[in-house]
This record gives sequence, structure tokens and C-alpha cells, in this order.
Amino acid sequence: MVVTRGDAPMPVDIAALSAAQIRAGIIAGRFSAHDVADAAYAVIATRDTDIHAFLELTPSLAYAAAERVDAAKEAGEELPSLAGVPVAFKDNMNQVGTKTTCGSKMLANYDSLFTATAVERMVDAGALPLGKLNMDEFAFGSSTETSFFGPTHNPWDLERVPGGSSGGSAAAVAGGLATITLGSDTGGSIRQPASFCGIVGYKPTYGLVSRYGIVAFGSSLDQVGPFGKTVEDVALATNALVGRDERDCTSQDCGTDFTANLHAGVRGMRIGVVTSMNDAPGVQPEVVAALHEAVENLKGLGAEVVEVDLPHITAAMSAYYVIGPCEAFSNLSRFDSVRYGYREPGCELLSSQESLSRAVGFGEEAKRRILLGSYLLSSGPYEEYYVPAQKVRTLITRDFVRAFGSVDVIISPTSPRAAFKFGEISDPATMYLSDLFTIAINIAGNGGMSLPVGLGRDTGLPVSVQLIGPQFRDENIFQAAAALETCYRIEHVAPMARPGAVSRVVEPVMTIGSPTPPATMKGGE
Amino acid sequence: MRSVEQVLRDWEVVIGLEVHCELTTLNSKMFCGCALQHGAEPNTNVCPVCLGLPGALPVPNKAAVESIVLAGLATNCEIEKRTMFYRKGYFYPDMSKNFQTTQGPVAFCMRGWLDLELDGAGAAERADVEKDRDGSYTTRIAITRIHMEEDAAKMIHVGGTDGRIAGADHSLIDYNRCGAPLTELVTEPDLRTPAEARRFMQKLRQIYLTLGISDCSMEAGSMRCDGNISLRRRGETALGTKTELKNLNSFKSLHDGLAYEIVRQAQVLEEGGTVKQETRHWDITRKRTVVMRTKETADDYRLFPEPDLAPYDLSDEFIDSVRAKLPELPETKKARYQADLGLPSHDALLMADDAMLGAFFEETVAIAGVRQARAVANLLLNDLAALLNASDEVEASTEDARITPAALAALVGLIDDGTISSGQGKQVFATLVREGGDAQAVVEAEGMRQVSDADAIETVVDQVLAGNPDKVAQYRDGKKGLKGFFVGQAMRAMRGQGNPKVINEVLDRRLEG
Repeated sequence: MVVTRGDAPMPVDIAALSAAQIRAGIIAGRFSAHDVADAAYAVIATRDTDIHAFLELTPSLAYAAAERVDAAKEAGEELPSLAGVPVAFKDNMNQVGTKTTCGSKMLANYDSLFTATAVERMVDAGALPLGKLNMDEFAFGSSTETSFFGPTHNPWDLERVPGGSSGGSAAAVAGGLATITLGSDTGGSIRQPASFCGIVGYKPTYGLVSRYGIVAFGSSLDQVGPFGKTVEDVALATNALVGRDERDCTSQDCGTDFTANLHAGVRGMRIGVVTSMNDAPGVQPEVVAALHEAVENLKGLGAEVVEVDLPHITAAMSAYYVIGPCEAFSNLSRFDSVRYGYREPGCELLSSQESLSRAVGFGEEAKRRILLGSYLLSSGPYEEYYVPAQKVRTLITRDFVRAFGSVDVIISPTSPRAAFKFGEISDPATMYLSDLFTIAINIAGNGGMSLPVGLGRDTGLPVSVQLIGPQFRDENIFQAAAALETCYRIEHVAPMARPGAVSRVVEPVMTIGSPTPPATMKGGE
Repeated sequence: MRSVEQVLRDWEVVIGLEVHCELTTLNSKMFCGCALQHGAEPNTNVCPVCLGLPGALPVPNKAAVESIVLAGLATNCEIEKRTMFYRKGYFYPDMSKNFQTTQGPVAFCMRGWLDLELDGAGAAERADVEKDRDGSYTTRIAITRIHMEEDAAKMIHVGGTDGRIAGADHSLIDYNRCGAPLTELVTEPDLRTPAEARRFMQKLRQIYLTLGISDCSMEAGSMRCDGNISLRRRGETALGTKTELKNLNSFKSLHDGLAYEIVRQAQVLEEGGTVKQETRHWDITRKRTVVMRTKETADDYRLFPEPDLAPYDLSDEFIDSVRAKLPELPETKKARYQADLGLPSHDALLMADDAMLGAFFEETVAIAGVRQARAVANLLLNDLAALLNASDEVEASTEDARITPAALAALVGLIDDGTISSGQGKQVFATLVREGGDAQAVVEAEGMRQVSDADAIETVVDQVLAGNPDKVAQYRDGKKGLKGFFVGQAMRAMRGQGNPKVINEVLDRRLEG
């Protein structure tokens, strides 16, 4: 492995370049894909000791991909859409040549035996796979604190969580360690960490991206999506990811170019606002302020803002915590220590080996959801909870269909609050509330994107809005998001990843929507 | 122990069957592309999907769906246009995901039926139905559903007795079968005797074989059957407590196992005891049922809709296209054999029920002519069965017979034109079945020739009568049954070559004249 030393001059500043700029730079001969890999591993070497976004680095895969790109360039071929773009994958995505741990002791030594379609499509598009990213165990969590391998730190403030469950994926982009990363989103696991880390995170409509090779949490809720610094980067990644996969029969054909409407503006677009949702208890004033400002900005760009009602949305959380655990219980049944996974030594009987291996191999949150799902699916509770939850799901889905009869996009906060500190939320029910605004979108199956809209006036931490589109009309989201993005002078990465930044010291930044002068923040205090 | 017939006088037996059938004629498994290959090296036909590796997803096998729709149409089921797969949870290493993908309350095939024709000894078991003059009866058995599911892996327990898990010190698992497409047919509790249960299974097997959806081998386990059985006093309407019977892996086991269980339950009830709800194993060597496990509480399989699979929709076009592929079923074939080929009902039934025999029969008739259909059927139904039963081969079947349709057609021709007698015909038939070859050649090689010359026969008949004056006197006193004796003696003297028709004519003249 050839890595440029941290103190040597870096030929490429990953943090400062977009995916398109990297590809353009390689085409122009300003640097090679190999240089990009060097640069990426150099910043990882210096910065990821603090962030802990990566669980595994795959230089042999990344340099092999770089060689292919450089050879294609040399041969004068047209480079694929993500040529030379450094990427990384949440560790619930199978990729041959890596472990797929799901952040769990259960799979700490599990080698991938095949490659997930989403991973394959990114690599086929010329991306450089740097490694695998930390996550809440089996994607159960909103802070990445439940990872067996220790938490990931928020690059904006290392004492704060990056969100979760795809915390490693968000932190890697915000920390300037990778240009695009993939996460999975079951109830907000892409959008909430994107919000906490001040980057763009997008959960496509269920069925747009193949789930083949992603270790399932809630099969009917899970969707794979990209993180990036800009809407354009996320659109490029989405173009590479979407489309029917014969190995996932819930995947759909898609002929959309998600970059097509990025400059179309929002004039004449109808933006829906759900008042009941945005003024929910527990939503921090700075979040509400940022949302109102975003709505004003959209109006200013010529969009029409319309109030819409989603009458059943308040039941989404309850339905989610029935359906999610039920599917998780069933999906996690396969981890029984018989053929792979953690095996408790010294057991004489298969039954005790299975029970003890699961007791030791799974963490607290995983066990909580397994027990909950096991209870909810048993006869009696099934009729009392699971069946009504599915009915609620239908009602919420219809709410969205009705709402999208009159609007093109719905806007809401992504998370009720900015990133919290480690250990700040220990009560599971409060933790679950982190996904208040995102969960309903998984329940309904629509696409949703978290777009950073500056720093909160109170915390100085990134705050985001969520843009939701009608099912399979995700291009609406990209159109609105790209327009809204132009209203903000957003730093694309956390201060620690900006040029000239000294590790752990965060520079003063402008806060948006704040009536008071910007506060100075120091990370790690 | 009392006989089933005795028990059935006081008790009504209620039997329902669950019939599993592997779709062995398909190329691949239910939810992945792995080959279905009997006898392959263990754990060679496996992939991430059927091994239940994390991240793998199921994709339904359309050909398997076509097979089950065929089965449903052939058993008068309604085909459901929208069904869902469900997950049935249970922890056991033979199911790699620790849940089995099966179907929910609505299966591909619902609410079907089969009519069973019972005759002979089978019909005698049942006393409470109206029967035809020949003692036969027909009864309709309702089919609750036929659903699609995936098979489990094969486990081999090492170190115990009889390969059972009790006492074994370790187990081996072969995942080649894991995820194989499996149909399960469930009947309503409409069966009333072991003979009906056996007949149902035979009929279903013939239908599945005709459809070509499985090899239906009960020995190899590709078709297997569990019986649910309970007793109630005649006249009662409430169902008694049932036991579930397993290891019924032959028609004989199915019949005998149920018969044993009926008598056992009757004895328990008559002694004032109660039948426990339990699963019992038919021990074929000790000829008794033994407890496998007691079901104190209902198993909770945590059944819920499989979220990795969308609802499965069948279009009218698809169902119609499958209907168009339905081959002629045994029941229709039987009617045709009766109407067009003149077979008696029972012969037509037997012939239509055995797909291979029926095909052989039709091919022979095509050569020999419709006029010979009954003669061909007689040889195939009576003589072939007897020959195969008497064979040294343990499992001799129609397949092992070496006779060809052309040879059989020639043989019935030789009998018909009087070249050989029907008795000689049976001998030739036996040789053809054993060794194959040409009928004319066998006749020549054996020096067979039928003697129809009246003078020659008169000489022999006179000798027979002269040698048995006492019997001739008895005959003339009215003991007409002795005629057969004289025919036999004459035939013996002619070493079987005499024309029985002419012998009879000569005898009539001599005895009556």
C-alpha cells in the first residue's frame, strides 16, 4: 500500500473536491485516480483516529479500481460517471474481500461471500472503494453508539454523536475522508446522520435501489442511499445505483437521470408544509427557525408553498416500532452460530450453543428489538399490534398519496434537534424520537433527502431540512434540493477537514438564521 | 386386537391428510437458481440464498408456480390471483434462515376436491355408504388448499440407532435440498377409512405423475404424507382429539398405520381413557405407532407476510395458459377407455390410474386395433401384475417388463386367429415380459401350435371319457361342473395345444349325445 504521509504535501484535497471535479481532474490529467487514493488514505490515516468512521480499509480494492481508471484514461476511453471518486460503504453491505460485521460481535469475523448490487454498481461506475464504515449494530440506533467496535465521532464536534445508524457513512463525508458513501435507511438512518454531520443524505423511494447484499434489518423498510457533500454528488451516485436487479424482486426499473433537473429551479413548483409535523413537541426552536427560513428561501426562488395535512402521521412511530422489530426478529433469526457468526465456546447442546451465542453475540439494542419482535409476532399480540400496524401503514401511505396530489415536494425538519453528546440520550424511547420526521417516509415508502441549511442559531451545529417526494418521482426532490442549496453558503465539510485546519480545532463559522453574532466553537470541549 | 371393520361398526373415523410433494422435475430451487439434483455430492447445490447468508434475497421460481397451478387445476381447486408468501419461524439447523418461506391464509390453490372410487376389499371397509350392486362406491373428498413452500435441508444423525436423533452423537446437514420447491396439499377431514386414505393418495399420485410435476417417489420421500386421525361415536358430530401420524412412506404404510391407529384409539376410548394430542411415528418393523412428541400447546410459528417478496399476482392469461397445458387426467382417460375402447369400469380405472401402463396399453391398441383392446387389457391387468408380483425383484414394476407394444399386439393377433390358444398366449406373454423379443419367434421356438382339427380332438376326448367312466356317469346324473375336468384332461393330453373351443364342442356332442 502506497500512502502519502500525513505531513507530505497532498496532491489532491478530497474534502475540497466534488465527485464531478475529481473525475474532471483525472480527465484533464491534473491528477490520477491513484493520486486520489493516496490522498484519501492519507487523510484517513491522520483524521480517522479521531473520527473512527472506518472499520476496515481496503487499499488493495481501491488501488485496483484506481488502476482500472488510470488505464482507461491512458487508453483514451471515456471514463465512467464516478471515475476515481473515493467511496466507502456501510458495514452491512457485502463486498467480496471485506468483512461485513454490521457493527456486531456476532459478525466480527464474517467474510463477505458475495458483493451487494449497490456496491457493485458504484465500483462499476469507476469509484474507488476505500473501506467499510461504522454503524449502529445491525442498524439499530440513531447515534452509532451501539457499534460493537466503539462509536464514531461527529467531525463537527468529536464529543458529539454523528447520528445513526449510518454514522460512519455520514462522518466519513463530513470529515473529508471520502467523497461519497453509502448507507442504509430503515427509519432515518441515512437522513438523520446526514443532518447531524451537515451533509446531503438521500433515501430513495423503496424499490429504486436493489437491497441485494445488504444485511436486512426491516426488509419492507430498508433502502440503500448515498451521502455526499452536494446535491449534485448525490445525484451522480443515485444515477449509478438505481434500476432493476433480478436478485431483488422488490427492485424496480428506473430510467430517470437525477442530474437532469438540478438547474431547473423551483419556479412554479408546489412545496408542501405540514404544520402539525413541524411544530411537534420536542422540536428545537433553531430547527423550526431553520425550516421557516428554508421555506422563505423556496418562496423567494418562485416556489408556491402549500399547507398539506397528513392526518395519520402521528401514528407512524408506533407502527414503525411494531413492523421494524417484527421484521428484524425474523431477519436476525439466521444468526444462530451453526454455520457462521459468533459461537460461544464449550456448549454441549446445540440449543444452548444457539441461545448463549445469541445472548453474547448480540448487543443490548439488538436483543431489545429481537425480543420485541418475537413477542409482537406471537399469536395474540400479532392480531393486536402487527395487523393494526399494517393498517396504519396503509393509511399513512394514502395520506402521502393524497398530499402529493396537490404538491410536488413536502418539506419538514430532518431531525428534531442537532447532534447530541455521547451518552446524552440513554432512554431508548427518547432515542427513538430522533427519527420522528424520517420514520413516516419509510413507512410510506417514499424518497426523502436531508439537506443542510446552515448552522443552528443556538448550538452552532448543522441543521437540515428533509425534502420528500412522491413515490418514484424522486427527481422532484433533487430539483428542489439543488435550488434550495444555492441559498446557503454551506461549508461542505466539517471545519476540521477544511484547508489549513488543525486537527480538533474548529474555526468560527457563520450561523444561519441566527439573530446573534456567530459564536466561536471549539471541538472537543 | 380387533380389526378395523369391527371398530368401524361402533366408531366413525375422521381422517385428514397432508401431502407434501417435491417438484422434482423442475430445474432449480424455489427461491434461487441452484440445481435440483437428486444424489448430488452433499452441499454442492447451494448459494447465498438457500444457505440463508446475510444479505441474500429470495426470487420466486415461476416454473414452480406453474407446477402448483397445474396441480390445483387438476384437483378442481380455485386458483387465487393474489397470494402472499409468509415466513414461518422455527429454529432448527435444517432451515438455513431459521424460517421457512411458505404461504399464508390464502394459497395459490384453494377449495378443491377429488372423487374417489372404492371397490373390492377397499370398499368393504366402509359400511355407512350406499354402494352399487358390485359393492363399489364413490365419495368426494374436499381439498382445503395446496400451497407452495420451500423444503428443509436433509439431516443425517450419526451414532444413534436407525439414524434417529435420539442417541446420536453428531448430525450432518446437506443443504442441497434446502429451498427445494415443495407443495403441500391439505384435505378436509373427509376421509372415513384407511382404504379411502390410500385411494386418495394413489389417485393424487397418479394425477401428479400425469402432470409431470414430480417423480412422486414415496420411497425416496419426494412424495410424503401425514395423517390426522380421530374417532367419534357413530352419530356424534363433534370431532374427537386427533393424533398426527408420520412415516407413512408407502401406500401400505399409509393404510396399515392408519388402521393400527384407529384400533389403538378405539381401545383407549373404550377403556375410558382419552386420546392425547400428539405426533406418532409408524414403526414399520414393529407394526405399531409410537409417540414422537406430545403437543401440549400449539406451536407458535410467528407467521407473518414475507417482506422480501411482493404479493404474487397471477393474471387470467397465465392461468389460462396453464389450463391449456393440462394433460388428459386419469378420470377423463378412464371414461375414454370405457366409451371408446370398451373396457369394463374397473379395468378402465386401473389402466387410467397407471400412467405408464395406460400409455403402453394405448400404444399396443394403436397397433393391434380397437377390437383387441379388451384382450390387451386382460393380459396387462391380470397377467402382468401377477408376473411382477411373483418376480424375484423386490420392487419389480411395469418399468422392468421387457415386452414391447408391438410384440404384445402381435401376440393378441396370434391368439385371435387361433394360431395359439389363450393358455399358450399367457406362456408367450410371460416369456416376452421376462426376456423381450418377438411373439412369433417365441411361438416357433417353443413349438407352439394350436390343434383345432376335430378328428384329432375327438380321438383324445374319447380316450379321456373312456378312462373316467365313473365321472361320466356322475356328469350324466347332473354334476355338470365336471365338464371343466374333462376339458382339462383333454388339454393336458394335448400338451396345452388343443383349441379349447373345439374341445368344448366335441365334449358337448359326446356327453349330451
